[in-house]
Amino acid sequence: MAAVAPHAGAVGAGHHAADSHGDPDAMYLKASRGIRSWLFTLDHKRIGLMYLTMVALAFLVGGIFALLVRLELFSRGKTIIDGETYNRFFTLHGAVMVFLFIIPSVPAALGNFFLPIMIGAKDVAFPRLNLLSFYIYLCGVAILLCSIIMGSVDTGWTFYTPYSVQTTNSVISMTFGVFVLGFSSILTGVNFLVTVHTMRAPGCTWGRMPLFVWGMYATALIQILATPVLAITLLLLIAERFLGIGVFDPKLGGDPVLFQHFFWFYSHPAVYIMIVPGMAINSELIATFSRRAIFGQFAVAMSSLGLAILGFLVWGHHLFVAGMSEFATMLFSALTFLVAIPSGVKVFNWTATIYKGSILWASPMLYGMAFIFLFTIGGLTGLFLGTLSVDVHLTDTYFVVAHFHYVMMGGTVIAFLGGLLYWWPKMTGKWHDEFKAKVGFWFVFVGFNTVFIPQFIMGSRGMPRRYYDYLPQYEIFHRISTVGSWILAIGLFTTAYTLLEALWKGKPAPRNPWGSAGYEWGTDTPPCLTNFHKTPVFTRGPYDYHLATAEELATGWDEVGGEPGSKKKD
Amino acid sequence: MNEPNAPPTFQLPEQMSTVSADVDWLYYFIYWTSVVLFVAIVGAMIWWAIQYRERKGHKAEPTGHNLPLEIAWTIAPIFILVFMFHKGFQGYMDMDVAPANAMEIRVNAKQWAWEFVYPNGGSSDELHVPVHQPVKLVMASADVLHSFYVPALRVKRDLVPGMFTTVWFEATHVGHDDIACAEYCGGRSSGPNGELPYQPSDDPLHPYVAGQATGHWAMHSMLYVETPEDYQKFVKSIGDPCDQYASSGKKCPAEVAAGQGAKLYQSKGCAACHTTTGARLVGPSWKGIWNKTEETDKGPMKVDEQYVRRSILDPNFRVVNGYQAVMPTFLGQISDGEIDEITEYIKSLKE
Repeated sequence: MAAVAPHAGAVGAGHHAADSHGDPDAMYLKASRGIRSWLFTLDHKRIGLMYLTMVALAFLVGGIFALLVRLELFSRGKTIIDGETYNRFFTLHGAVMVFLFIIPSVPAALGNFFLPIMIGAKDVAFPRLNLLSFYIYLCGVAILLCSIIMGSVDTGWTFYTPYSVQTTNSVISMTFGVFVLGFSSILTGVNFLVTVHTMRAPGCTWGRMPLFVWGMYATALIQILATPVLAITLLLLIAERFLGIGVFDPKLGGDPVLFQHFFWFYSHPAVYIMIVPGMAINSELIATFSRRAIFGQFAVAMSSLGLAILGFLVWGHHLFVAGMSEFATMLFSALTFLVAIPSGVKVFNWTATIYKGSILWASPMLYGMAFIFLFTIGGLTGLFLGTLSVDVHLTDTYFVVAHFHYVMMGGTVIAFLGGLLYWWPKMTGKWHDEFKAKVGFWFVFVGFNTVFIPQFIMGSRGMPRRYYDYLPQYEIFHRISTVGSWILAIGLFTTAYTLLEALWKGKPAPRNPWGSAGYEWGTDTPPCLTNFHKTPVFTRGPYDYHLATAEELATGWDEVGGEPGSKKKD
Repeated sequence: MNEPNAPPTFQLPEQMSTVSADVDWLYYFIYWTSVVLFVAIVGAMIWWAIQYRERKGHKAEPTGHNLPLEIAWTIAPIFILVFMFHKGFQGYMDMDVAPANAMEIRVNAKQWAWEFVYPNGGSSDELHVPVHQPVKLVMASADVLHSFYVPALRVKRDLVPGMFTTVWFEATHVGHDDIACAEYCGGRSSGPNGELPYQPSDDPLHPYVAGQATGHWAMHSMLYVETPEDYQKFVKSIGDPCDQYASSGKKCPAEVAAGQGAKLYQSKGCAACHTTTGARLVGPSWKGIWNKTEETDKGPMKVDEQYVRRSILDPNFRVVNGYQAVMPTFLGQISDGEIDEITEYIKSLKE
């Protein structure tokens, strides 16, 4: 193994883990046993799995709210719930999906698990901080649950003032929960930054660092710099409700538009906290299943940083009709268009990577190509919204709803599902049923487009968002969209079943089932407690298929017997 | 000037204002640019993924470098982006700066009703404007954020409590279109105890039953673009009939005042929360309320002239038990004469 050659002066196995957390050379799930070994674990892989469980539950809950909202909109008038309940459900769908699912999804679950492995480290830099961030996340979840039980919130996930100051629901507990969740996000970000800077194995230079790690690095920067602003904003909102300090409430001399500036100063960068990790996974998928390095790897890595920086400069494009000066409007429109450039660079480079590759049509690659398909739609429809005169017509309509779902769900969620299927054998040591995974994919892909393409059309025709009821001319679009949500749900449940089924019925997965040259595939499946038995020395980049030895690229299917999903290499 | 009067397309509603054609041209320019780019990118991806699929005897070629290509596809999009930005900003400024001869109409929004006040002081809950006349709307909100949106005009602007915002347009042909609220402003679908089962109507001009639908989605109103003659007729009809009595020093007869009060009940948005049928909504029904003694949060209170006046201007000074203190003040939005007319109307609503 040239890529993970034993290091001459290899540092011994992880010292923190050796004492109380079991044998460093044992597989991480078996290194120690019992409930305490999970609750007090410092192993980034176990923390990643616990996060994964929580974000999967959050996705289920947020998804159920989405299905109920869509079902209500199937017909004009009351279908299943009344107006107040509808307002709460779409608020909870947004809040749960954004704060509990999509922000922690890739970084805290898959990032926690794979970032240290992909740079050849034993763990993250601060394992205890890592565990703390998980418990802070749980506290945030608990506070949000209390808030929902105590009467819930009907403000929309954006908590716009003055409605959020006047409405009688439990806005305070909800925003406090989000405030707490922010700390979890910041701690994860700090941990990743320090880990990447200080713990890369010999040979893992910045130039060789996997693109997934680059994406996590860019995301961590945004998390650290933007999340405190959300915390300040939510504290001010709580103070406004409790003490009537008059920052946002016009009755007390405050400015409601100021809240929107503060809120989007965090929440726009947060869009990149959500999408950059999705792009990061996609770079891994495209490289592995094309059997070659990402075209323009340096440009792809830098475009993640470019998005992280530009993300801070465009928050005003949420306020084009909100009562902002013409000068600010012009400036934010111009800056918004700049975002198209790093996004375009990524899409062009992924597509160019497929050219003259050797493409394995495995389930994760289907998600990888779906990402390019859907994210391109999401990105191109952003051009309509960045163009000022067109945005005036489209903003706050279903066009915007469809646009950001194509980016958030068509981008991040699709990449997350692709990443799960891709890394599932490494994480669990079990091989899933590729046929079921592909069936699930096609339901997800068709369902997703059926939900959101009609929303583009009704939006450009003038259907405003956050409406409990609508005019007769929009009914057909709502109906198609709702039917799409059922197809999508079938796809997601099929995929979830495929993954869970692998846990108890799956055959043992070999070390490198996809035949990838990535660093993480060079270690055991599943990895040992310290990820590598000896500190690895990387002698080539993670995508250098032409430099990798046949042994490194060997799938290992022969050893475990049979080759259930992937095709044999010649 | 040519008159854009295009019918709706599959993607966009009909064009009713002078800016519509420009907005739509830019929309379709971006649309076709996007279609070309999408087909090129996704087409290439699918084609190559099939052409270079993994099979026996086929190996991936190591990735090379092509700096000129990379620079080209980083720089080339900038030209298109600058063009879109420029046209978009130009169109935005056209929508933003009202001509000097624009007629001003005041717009007051509250949860969940629109009120339009015309230059002669009359008001209505639907917007009537003359065709070929620039109209500038000076807009204010009494409570939370709202947004004035007319799809066919391609205009939208938020109404922000504590500040005035403006929007202007010039309608190009006679017709009508929906006015929608595009900024979420809360809402409920029936009385607190669900007395009024929610059901929209099939009347395209009044899709939501007055007094039954109270919420963001039901802040629906209509824009009527009329000939100058019809507009003048309309403006006369909403003038206050009590004005002629006042100018001659006589007292306005109770029936005339109550009749005008009934109009104000609609145009000022009272109907959003108070019924005249005895049914319970967000606020108490007006039917049979006159001279009744209500139990309030600060003790019993007789519903008389003073109570009605005070409740309109300072709604929270006494709140009837069982209701929430959610009514916004009408201070500055209603004249003394109008309060008298509403009082007469309440008097007329006997049990």
